Amino acid sequence: MQLSSPLVRRRSRNLETEGRSAMARSHSTRKACIPKAAAHKASILKALCAAFALLFVVAHPAAAQLSFKPTAEAVQEDKLLNALKEGDKITGRITIPDAMAASLIQPAGRDWRDFHRSKLPIIGGVAIIGMLALLAIFLMVRGRIRVDHGFSGTKILRFASFERFTHWLTASCFIVLALSGLNISFGRILILPLFGAQAFATMSTYAKFAHDYLAFPFMLGLVIMFLIWIKDNIPGKIDLQWLKRGGGILSKGQHPPARRFNAGQKGVFWIVIIGGSLMSVSGWFLLFPYIPANVTTMQFWTVIHAVIAMLFIAAMMAHIYIGTVGMEGAFDAMGTGEVDLNWAKEHHSLWVEEEQAKGHAPSGSTPRAVPAE
Amino acid sequence: MKVFLAALLFAAVAAVGVSIVLNTFQQPSYAAFTTGGARVGDPGNNLVGPG
Repeated sequence: MQLSSPLVRRRSRNLETEGRSAMARSHSTRKACIPKAAAHKASILKALCAAFALLFVVAHPAAAQLSFKPTAEAVQEDKLLNALKEGDKITGRITIPDAMAASLIQPAGRDWRDFHRSKLPIIGGVAIIGMLALLAIFLMVRGRIRVDHGFSGTKILRFASFERFTHWLTASCFIVLALSGLNISFGRILILPLFGAQAFATMSTYAKFAHDYLAFPFMLGLVIMFLIWIKDNIPGKIDLQWLKRGGGILSKGQHPPARRFNAGQKGVFWIVIIGGSLMSVSGWFLLFPYIPANVTTMQFWTVIHAVIAMLFIAAMMAHIYIGTVGMEGAFDAMGTGEVDLNWAKEHHSLWVEEEQAKGHAPSGSTPRAVPAE
Repeated sequence: MKVFLAALLFAAVAAVGVSIVLNTFQQPSYAAFTTGGARVGDPGNNLVGPG
């Protein structure tokens, strides 16, 4: 608090002058009369005390007018925070080893928190519930896609053991990762009221451990998948034809030719590879926080991780649907590894021809009659 | 079915292996990002007791 009022300064000068003159008078008469000098000192002290008291009374209101106004400053502080752009932050001075503790306010964190609390649940809800609704409508309208010529009883090897092992390794990890990840976004809303705080906290802790550690076999499966299936998933002209005809799944009796993987399966492959890679990279930043990035970069990657996860889960729901409920005979490909020859001819006719040419598949199967339903 | 179970087993074993490897050089967050002055109690406890 500074005493800079003109009134205060003038009073101070007057008091200094009065004090010096009083002391001078006292000094000149000291030798003449000691008791008188003591009385003078007492009177001077009284005058000084009175002067300081007067100074305090006069100066205090004047100084108070010059001090900061908390309300006005708060408004300015709010403006300051709003003026701070992404990446800006207010830092302090610290003496502890953790340098990040010096960040006092990081306004981008508010946007990040708002995203997680409001936008992300909407994105996730629309993607996942929307996909469930679409699949339900598709099942009701189209029904289960049957093998038009019925099962022949002749099998053809679709996926070898190692391919199925890789698929189930990645898929089982993905399911745990998806459920434990969804628990982060929706657990408080959906699970906490059902199980209570204690059970929810314990479950979430173990789910977090599972999420962290199963991420590694998932990434391993992703790499192996890429290596073993990339050669069959290069897009080609035949995929355009398949797409133009809607893959034959929109109307009965339509079976556009396809090699080992049709355009839909190639789409799933690239969704898994690209989506899985983005999940892996972003997850790596979260598994090892602050090593390669600051908090702003970490917030960016959590957003990427969460949004891709929601879309990834929605896409995999469609994949699971068509591989189980949606299409008759499809699950055998990953179940036993062998599919019915008629199923293979209907959905992967060019691949069957290639396998027959190699001698890996029986040729000329006789279709059975379609049983009445 | 055998392939499926083998994949599950491998995933579990790999996850446990990764947890052991990571825990050898990673610190828990309460130790990595705080100092002695900032710790108010053991993990799982607060200033007024367990919980």
